[in-house]
Amino acid sequence: MKDLMRIKSLISNEIETLLNQQVKKEAHSSAIYLSMASWCNRNGYDFSSEYFFKQAEEERLHQLKIYKYILDMGGMSVSPEITNIKLEYNSFREVFEEALDQEISVTQSIKNIYARCLKEQDFVTMEFLNWFLKEQREEEYKARRALELFEVIGEEGTGRWQIDKHVGEIKYPPQA
Amino acid sequence: MIDTVQTASLTEVFSTKAGTIFQSDAERCWYVDFAGKFARFDYRCLLKLRKAVYHVNIEQKLLSSDKSPDVEIIFICACDHCYILTLIQIIAFKELLEGTFVMFELNHILHDRLGYFAA
Ligand SMILES: [Fe+2]
Ligand SMILES: [Fe+2]
Repeated sequence: MKDLMRIKSLISNEIETLLNQQVKKEAHSSAIYLSMASWCNRNGYDFSSEYFFKQAEEERLHQLKIYKYILDMGGMSVSPEITNIKLEYNSFREVFEEALDQEISVTQSIKNIYARCLKEQDFVTMEFLNWFLKEQREEEYKARRALELFEVIGEEGTGRWQIDKHVGEIKYPPQA
Repeated sequence: MIDTVQTASLTEVFSTKAGTIFQSDAERCWYVDFAGKFARFDYRCLLKLRKAVYHVNIEQKLLSSDKSPDVEIIFICACDHCYILTLIQIIAFKELLEGTFVMFELNHILHDRLGYFAA
């Protein structure tokens, strides 16, 4: 009996489902960042707004990267529905706290898929995910650095104005 | 019932008292013999069928006390087939499909270990 499932698709059904969930997660991240960009802009934090616009665009690219991978492997990628995007934040700081939370949850979820690949010996998808693991290193670094500015500079006086200015200068790796 | 297609080219994948699922290597598809129906499924449709059947919340249906009829309609988008099944049949269908997919996995392991060229 032929292994028809394998002939149709390089990735298993379980991996396909997990990757589709990740597509949704990236799309969700993108929508959240877009909302953050709007909040920052409305409240006069122009550099942070710009930073989040850029992040939103990056997340969109991540989404497409996984979306196309699923198709290339013979799977079916599903365009996700995104709802429940927060419009208001209580403070400038809260925006960055939630940005870091979001990145951490993305890292965890990629680790989960990786673990499943390891179990199935799906080395092809593991190799594909390596790019994302490296990307998360940068994403978490940047989100953490931004949050640290609140400690280093402090929010008193013109603090928030200065924090905003520095957000635009965060780079990874730091030396480059 | 099976005589209508070329039985010779069909391999039995899994069988229970309630039904049987066959694979056709030549046509790269499956034939599902269940609930008095002998239906052809391609790759996508079989996966959709599995999803639809697994999706039925059997426990909840068993516990619900409302007077709604005890039947479930399994309709699969973009497939030609539709099943109208009782709860007992749903349970049997689920068992049949679960067994089938375990056999697919087993078959995959065999191919993996023996090598695609040897198999
Ligand atoms: Fe991302
Ligand atoms: Fe990110």
